[in-house]
Amino acid sequence: MAMLDRKVVLVGGGITKFAADRVDASVRDLVVEAVMLTIEDAGVDLQSVEHGLTSYESDHFNRQMTLGAILHDHIGMVPKPNVRVEGGGATGALALRTAFAYIKGGLCDSIIVYGGETNGKSVTSDTAQQFFALSSDADWEMMVGGTYTAYYAAMIREHMRLYGTTERQFAHISVKNRRNAHYNPIAQKPMDLTVDEVLASAPVAEPYKLLDCSLLSDGAAALILATEEWAANHSTQWSRRPAVYFVATGCGTDTMRLGDRPQPYPGLAHFRGKREAARQAYQMAGITNPRRQIDVAELYDSYSGVELQAYEDLGFCDYGQGGPAAERGVFDMGGELPVNTSGGLLGRGAPVGATGLAQAIEVMLQLRGEADSRRQVPNARCGLTDTHAGTGTHCVVNIFERQD
Amino acid sequence: MATVTSKLKQLTAPDPLARMPDPWADFREIEIIQLEWSQTYRHSLGKYSRFFIELENKRFFATRCPNCAKVWAPPRPVCPDNLTITEWVELSGRGYVVSFSVLHYAPAMAASLKTPYVLAYVKLEGADTLFAHLLKNYGELSEVRHGMPVQVVYNDGPVDHPILSMAFEPAEGIRD
Repeated sequence: MAMLDRKVVLVGGGITKFAADRVDASVRDLVVEAVMLTIEDAGVDLQSVEHGLTSYESDHFNRQMTLGAILHDHIGMVPKPNVRVEGGGATGALALRTAFAYIKGGLCDSIIVYGGETNGKSVTSDTAQQFFALSSDADWEMMVGGTYTAYYAAMIREHMRLYGTTERQFAHISVKNRRNAHYNPIAQKPMDLTVDEVLASAPVAEPYKLLDCSLLSDGAAALILATEEWAANHSTQWSRRPAVYFVATGCGTDTMRLGDRPQPYPGLAHFRGKREAARQAYQMAGITNPRRQIDVAELYDSYSGVELQAYEDLGFCDYGQGGPAAERGVFDMGGELPVNTSGGLLGRGAPVGATGLAQAIEVMLQLRGEADSRRQVPNARCGLTDTHAGTGTHCVVNIFERQD
Repeated sequence: MATVTSKLKQLTAPDPLARMPDPWADFREIEIIQLEWSQTYRHSLGKYSRFFIELENKRFFATRCPNCAKVWAPPRPVCPDNLTITEWVELSGRGYVVSFSVLHYAPAMAASLKTPYVLAYVKLEGADTLFAHLLKNYGELSEVRHGMPVQVVYNDGPVDHPILSMAFEPAEGIRD
């Protein structure tokens, strides 16, 4: 793959407090807050940034279409160019991948990617489930009572059948991520839990219980991406701290309906789109042994078992080893490859348009060595984000490196 | 004083990060209103329509690709494996459960479903894909398992959506 010889860097990023109900802010307020935090972190005058990129999923939650026009205007970016990117749950990561291409392709030297969502209490949780169900196949799966929790539940049940994966093993991931969230000040719901408490929580769509499920959140995040030269010339912070490079991106897809996927792979139990996205990103980054070469990763833990399945398709362990590795603490803080140090979707929260951005910001902080010392991975030099839409229908893997 | 009928509440919201000083101190007086939004769609089922129409006749149809012979259930007018227009084929409606979930909450649009209910992914005889639908009359939940033989059953009552003209029920074994 030919790529212009321009290196893309993360100049800076900002993230609001994630909460179940940001009663104090509308979605536009949240994005403006995130952008103000971003320019402060980046040490950049927003007037000098050449391009905007709006990252949000749904018109339904805000009862507002073309939100990008409002956001771009409210942060003073008009009359400069803007583009809106939407990719379901993968929206934020797809937005960053798009920004990467814009810079690599020479369309601009700098771009601000901003996004947010109010998935928390703007509608009832029944209605929120309904809105998300509309992002499955509405004629064929939603009308028979399907929900995302149920689709994912059928996937993990198949994984349990094939590999002997247990509910305790994926409960461990919920405990880990919600524990990590304690050390992230913007996290929505840090919790001290035991595996038994997760197992005893109310069934939602078996085998998933309430504490296996991620959060509905209000929040926003933003990042400024640029060429090295632009960062050196426009950021007061650039030379003062470790440089974080956006080195690789991959994207994979799968059929909308789980039942249409070929057997035996991916079948119901695997994320073929993640494997494809990771293959491309690893090739671009020169990664041949992800478990050894990656120091920290933010995975899309929409459900606890989804993170377990992702370990395997991302090549962090062999198929069937996700459960045992999780239980052994391989992916815990202090483990071989800490995953979701931010708390993940389970503990930090997941305002959809901001989720992929929040994952990248966590990796950026980790690579700079600026995360809270209780969640900082020592000497982290390479970090990965994994983000997907649907049941792995649209998957993005982005890789970042500290270079100094 | 004007009365705003949509007003739910007015409050002073704290800074969620408890910053000192609060940069938004002058913007903490908040009003919450209630908005209503509902709509009705005129929705064509398009080239998939025959599947739904035949359900009313208690017949189950899939589509087969004349090029690769793959049978799609749910049907597809075009086989995405080679972009060939497919042909309708009738299936027996018998199959077995591959995986399933037991739902304890129904989404708003399926609120009429009595919980718990079972959503099953079924491998139908003659089909190459899995078909997702409700599994009814399963007896005890502990009976529902991978490999459980099931069959399509048809609903005589009025239904909201044509896909609800069918469901799955346990059947005598074609595979265990």
